[in-house]
Amino acid sequence: MEETGIVTDDDNGSGRRRFLIWATGILVSFSGMIVGIPLIGSIIGSSFRTAKTNWITVGDVGALPIGQPVNLKVVDNNVDAYVREPVIRHLWAVKHSNADVTVLSPICTHLGCQFNWNPASGHFECPCHGSIYAADGTVLGGPAPRRLDTLPTRIENGRLFVEWKQFRSGTSDKVPA
Amino acid sequence: MRSGLLRWINERWPLSPFARLALEEEMSGGSSYAYVFGSAALILFMLQVVTGIWQLFYYVPTLGQGYNSLNYLRTEVPFGWLVHGLHYWGANAMVVCVMLHLSQVYIWGAYKRPHELQWITGVFLFLLTMAMSLTGGALPWDKRSYWLVEVASSAAGTIPVVGETLKRIMLGGGVIGQLTLSRFFVLHVAVASGLLLTLAAVHLVALRKVGNAGPWDDGQRKNTGPFWPDQVFKDGLFSAFVILLLVALSIYAPPPFAGMADPLDASYIPKPEWNFLFLYQALKYFPGKLEVIATLGIPLIGTIVLLLPPFVDDSVERRPRKRPAAMAGWVIAVTLFITLTLAGAYSQPEGFAAPQTSQSTPSTSAALSPSADEKAGSGLFKSQECAACHSIGGIGGTFGPDLSGEGTKGRSGQWLADQLHNPKAHNPSSEMPSFAALSKEQIGQLVAFLLGLKEEAPAPASTGLAPSAAAGGQTQSAPAVTGPHGEPGIAVTIIGSPDHGAVLFEDSCASCHGPRGTEMVSNPGSTHGKVPPLNPINRDLFSPDPKTFVGQIDLFLQHGSRPEGPNPRLSMPPFGDTHSLTQQQIADIEAYILNLNGVNRATIHHPGIDPDLFFIIAAFAFSLIVINLWGWWWFNRLGKRKGKEAGE
Ligand code: HEC
Ligand code: HEC
Repeated sequence: MEETGIVTDDDNGSGRRRFLIWATGILVSFSGMIVGIPLIGSIIGSSFRTAKTNWITVGDVGALPIGQPVNLKVVDNNVDAYVREPVIRHLWAVKHSNADVTVLSPICTHLGCQFNWNPASGHFECPCHGSIYAADGTVLGGPAPRRLDTLPTRIENGRLFVEWKQFRSGTSDKVPA
Repeated sequence: MRSGLLRWINERWPLSPFARLALEEEMSGGSSYAYVFGSAALILFMLQVVTGIWQLFYYVPTLGQGYNSLNYLRTEVPFGWLVHGLHYWGANAMVVCVMLHLSQVYIWGAYKRPHELQWITGVFLFLLTMAMSLTGGALPWDKRSYWLVEVASSAAGTIPVVGETLKRIMLGGGVIGQLTLSRFFVLHVAVASGLLLTLAAVHLVALRKVGNAGPWDDGQRKNTGPFWPDQVFKDGLFSAFVILLLVALSIYAPPPFAGMADPLDASYIPKPEWNFLFLYQALKYFPGKLEVIATLGIPLIGTIVLLLPPFVDDSVERRPRKRPAAMAGWVIAVTLFITLTLAGAYSQPEGFAAPQTSQSTPSTSAALSPSADEKAGSGLFKSQECAACHSIGGIGGTFGPDLSGEGTKGRSGQWLADQLHNPKAHNPSSEMPSFAALSKEQIGQLVAFLLGLKEEAPAPASTGLAPSAAAGGQTQSAPAVTGPHGEPGIAVTIIGSPDHGAVLFEDSCASCHGPRGTEMVSNPGSTHGKVPPLNPINRDLFSPDPKTFVGQIDLFLQHGSRPEGPNPRLSMPPFGDTHSLTQQQIADIEAYILNLNGVNRATIHHPGIDPDLFFIIAAFAFSLIVINLWGWWWFNRLGKRKGKEAGE
């Protein structure tokens, strides 16, 4: 009794007292649950959202040269939670016809460097470790574990759209990052 | 085991004395439901602190993202709608509880010696609660927030001598900007709330020091009862009920989506929150130079009057019947507050009665404010449907020439009047109808309006992606690329206000799409022959998902679109590209169009638990608890009485 200070048992009406303590406990737990569940749910729930990929408008297909890789600078309207910020992305596009365009991720599959097109040799060449790819992305030489990654494309009314995605580097399979 | 742990702690930290200070108290007159408002205010404050901190996990106090981040919490985060709803309604409930608590203490005469300090801290706690309500209102950075900051700072500016300085300090500069929002943010989450917390502690310690005042009747004060658990149970019951009520309000009367703050939008009609309506209404009775009486005088005098009671009334008498003057004072104050609040709630905001028409006549008067004639002419331009054929600032039809720069063409007033009277006078094959039916005065007003048009015609959309979208006759020969092109604008990321969108729609869109988007306006020269209705909208554009839906119609609003057909008289103007509407306004209009088609722009994507279900479970649990407790209580009493009777 001395120690707790709260549990001072007076014999008269102790049944009523115990009842009130229980009742208060139940009511407080009820309020705690009503508020607590949403609070915990909001923190946990928002942690499992999936990253969204975004279709980028590239422009008119007609403007691209046939068979010649071009470096495209496009604006990706990246949305992260509530922040929408345009991010510039570089892509490699090779047009085969107005209905068929291959778009390559600019990231070398070996260790993630940015490769270049060498018009003299007609190959993509990675400056980091010397991986060499053909215009269609197949590996011609160097340490590259797999062909260049193609990105999903869509052509509507003569306009090209690309979905920006990133893949893990260094693996022989194309695994989304 | 339990006492062992307790002893261990108590030897190192005074837990039991603290618990005793908090809970052990013989209350004079015993526990009562009359006292629950004070503790409810305390519990609501704690709820505000917790839900407030929780919102900070998502909210950022910036002009660009404040509104979006809050709405992200409300629609994308599981239970985010409830966290925000509890905070919004909790704030209102706290103001109500503090007011009721203050009234109860006053009526009970509980401010008298030795409770003076409690009364004084109580009055300041009330003022701080109002300050929290005010500063919190700025944080969503919606249209209400912007207006609130505008009015609050202007009110500060009316104070003689120091007003201008005070206003600058409040805004963090000469105009409302990022620093303004930061200031309101810090005042809300740190300064005012910190003071509130500290003062509440002082208030409560004073209560333990001098004890509760108890009933006003001397005789009743003699019976005492314990604070714990008797009063705590009553407080707990009431608070649980209040929390359940807050949940219900969050679900069935959620805080509005008022549209992002937009300094350029003059068509928004503002009103303050209910607890400041009395001041807003009082302001109207003191126009011009007298304004300072309302902005500074009323709050100042109000505070002084609130602080006075323990000092002017030093009798020990506490029975309300024996304190007629004090009671009359209370009745007068409450009546005044309620009357002013109701008058404010039902009044039309002054000077805003007619929504401004700046949308359809953009920047015709950037430098000079338009004359009354010009204003009337602008109204006629709309009501006579000139915009169906002519565009100004990118808005309107393309059948007739663009009139954006009509005032710079060197046309005389007489020439313009003739054109309106008899268009065939200037062009025998004119297809413009005669407006000879208008009065001389009206023609004069239209001419004044036309002469005031000094804008360049808007350049065709500069993106090069919407070759046929631009208004103006010269593009009519462009290849007939139909449908809108380009990227969605910023507007798609903003959850607009459908209510305000309705106002803007009538102003900017109804002339072509019909009132509420239902009427088909004829569009000769287009394949369809009519402007498409927006209510119901073309099924290809419709989507039950608000984000998809808004993305589809946004292209039309941003970049315009020229309908299929050889020579359509009306094209959809590029409101976004020409900046004739701000992105915030476009977002509001889009929310309205979605609403017309039965889609809620603010749909909650991740509710956590379905709101209705959550309420049903909570209400059911609460009822079950109350019924059980009551039954238990009743049986116990019955049992005891039986026992007593048996003993006798
Ligand atoms: C049915 C379509 C139509 C409507 C409605 C209409 N106009 Fe016209 N307006 C024209 C056409 C077409 C012209 C081109 C000249 C002509 O054919 O007379 C024109 C020419 C004008 C001009 C001369 C522009 C210039 O400087 O060459 C003015 C001014 C004018 N309109 C004002 C108005 C006003 C004000 C209204 C509303 C009261 C109005 N119009 C309603 C079709 C219309
Ligand atoms: C000058 C007349 C005019 C005004 C003013 C106007 N519109 Fe349009 N709007 C059109 C025409 C014409 C079309 C058809 C375009 C097409 O077929 O490509 C259209 C198409 C649309 C569409 C696509 C509907 C569909 O079924 O294809 C939407 C959405 C729309 N307008 C919204 C608005 C909104 C919102 C406003 C006000 C901000 C507005 N419009 C103002 C003429 C107008």
